[in-house]
Amino acid sequence: SQNRVKLFPLAHVDTTHFYVQVMLHKCNLMILTCISFQACHSEKHLGQYYTLPSAHIRTLFPSGLPWRYQQQVKTFNEACIMVRQPSLEVISYLKKTDYSKPALRYLFYGQKGTGKTISLCHTVHFCYTQGWLVLHIPDAHQWVKNCKELLPSSYNASRFDQPLQATTWLRNFRLTNERFLSKIKTKHRYMWTKREFTEEGSLLGELVDQGISRVKSSSDVVGAVMKELRLQSGQPGSDFRLAVAVDGVNGLWGRSTIKKEDKSVDPEELTLIYNLRKLMRNDWTGGAIIATLSQTGSLYTPKSAYLPQELLGERGFDSMDPFIPVSVPNYSEKEFESCYLYYMDRHWLQHPQSRTEEGKKELVFLSNRNPSMLDRICGFL
Amino acid sequence: MCDKSAATVVFLVRWSRYNPYYLEPEVSKEAYSRPETELSAEEKEQRELKALRPIKAATSGVTSSVFDDPVISKFINMMMEHGNKVLAREIMTQTLENIKKKQVEKYHKASEGEREVIECNPYTIFHQALENCKPVVGLASIQKGGKYYQVPIPLTDNRRRFLAMKWMITECQDNKHRRTHMYEKLSQELLAAFGKEGNVIKKKYELHKMAEANRAYAHYRWW
Repeated sequence: SQNRVKLFPLAHVDTTHFYVQVMLHKCNLMILTCISFQACHSEKHLGQYYTLPSAHIRTLFPSGLPWRYQQQVKTFNEACIMVRQPSLEVISYLKKTDYSKPALRYLFYGQKGTGKTISLCHTVHFCYTQGWLVLHIPDAHQWVKNCKELLPSSYNASRFDQPLQATTWLRNFRLTNERFLSKIKTKHRYMWTKREFTEEGSLLGELVDQGISRVKSSSDVVGAVMKELRLQSGQPGSDFRLAVAVDGVNGLWGRSTIKKEDKSVDPEELTLIYNLRKLMRNDWTGGAIIATLSQTGSLYTPKSAYLPQELLGERGFDSMDPFIPVSVPNYSEKEFESCYLYYMDRHWLQHPQSRTEEGKKELVFLSNRNPSMLDRICGFL
Repeated sequence: MCDKSAATVVFLVRWSRYNPYYLEPEVSKEAYSRPETELSAEEKEQRELKALRPIKAATSGVTSSVFDDPVISKFINMMMEHGNKVLAREIMTQTLENIKKKQVEKYHKASEGEREVIECNPYTIFHQALENCKPVVGLASIQKGGKYYQVPIPLTDNRRRFLAMKWMITECQDNKHRRTHMYEKLSQELLAAFGKEGNVIKKKYELHKMAEANRAYAHYRWW
């Protein structure tokens, strides 16, 4: 694509056309030359796209990105995220926090399709590039619905295990945090059955492998991993920072559709949810908790609900309180322009009318500048 | 685009039979944005007539949007079953998106020289594929002396377009693997027709061959 900026020295220059050319130049520069991630996260890059390296995508997000975005990455042969105000705000807070104090909780909230998951992924990628240990739960709602296998827990008789979800999560965790598995050592002794146990001082990698190979005790392994990381981060001996990223955190305190012998199971009775709730408390230091609310996957919540109070409910809000709410709005005019130019650059807008002013006005009207709606409409144009 | 799950109720305001006195509606914005000076005498007369005569209600399938395409609307109507236009339109948009996705992916992976040849616009692909599927001559069953003969006849434009669309839809509904989605089947068939291959093109050639074989009976046609 052309990087030239055309300058019109004539008096009757069309200023919008000039602005568009300059934006395209800047936009292209951003896509092509962004190498250092430090430089990408500053105020002056608002509205511009930066590329995530494909190696990072494979390790960090085996299943964390939205489905339509994954398809877009496959089509364009690159993964670009727009730098927007909400994620930039959280990243600036993360840069300035004192990690000897208890972990702060950041919550992205907003209407449907405004970009909460992508903001979360942006923040998680920032943490990954800074060398943090990332504990990413791609969708907490998947743990409270459509459970194919439910076993009574071996540790506590009143709780239930979900072996399939636990093993997938452990596999993804192992893929993301390879380098920490051989560095962190456990501080407690864990007994899985009468003959199987993990000694104190063994590597975290062994614990995770134990959970993946022995499917029956995988949920308890998940709980053990969470407990170890929570206790060890922030201690003087540890050299890692913990980032807990949960998408759809309102699922932890909602209802579930899993039934055991025709009786509905409360999320509290599920081992995975119980352990995750303990992790969401701010009684540990040396890291941060970043979460997203989501109405789309949630159960028994009205479609119009999007505020933290409505989606978390009383119990959820009391557990999460105090947290830093970050609102994720629809695209501003500048962001819409940037998105439109990005699609043009990637040859995604093919309809001849979509390249005219009239077509652009119609896109603004049809999508209301909502990111996901714009993506769906531009899909077939 | 509104909620898909909310029930969309369409109120019928267009009658099916109108008095010939009623005029056809003009939907596009460009027709009205032209100033008085640019119009010829006939067009000025037409405008005055529109001010006096009643106008038929526009169908819900036409829009004043710049992205409105009558061929695509006709195709959607032909795909529609039991009046479920929402589903038919959804399939069409998914088809266009799928075609564009495949072509853009090919474009980004290709080298500089190959890029000029790859067509990414799903609308040009759709129109070209349909053009490639349109038969030139058709066959009519004409009775002569107690026997029925298949006689080659010229087809009107509407009939040709109808046949191309009908073959495309029935081919995708009947002759593909049952576990693939309609939009996937359609996009594969349209891309094949764009490259002048595939079952629909084969059907067109078979019709042409039949017409050529029955050329001797062409004089049985009296119109």
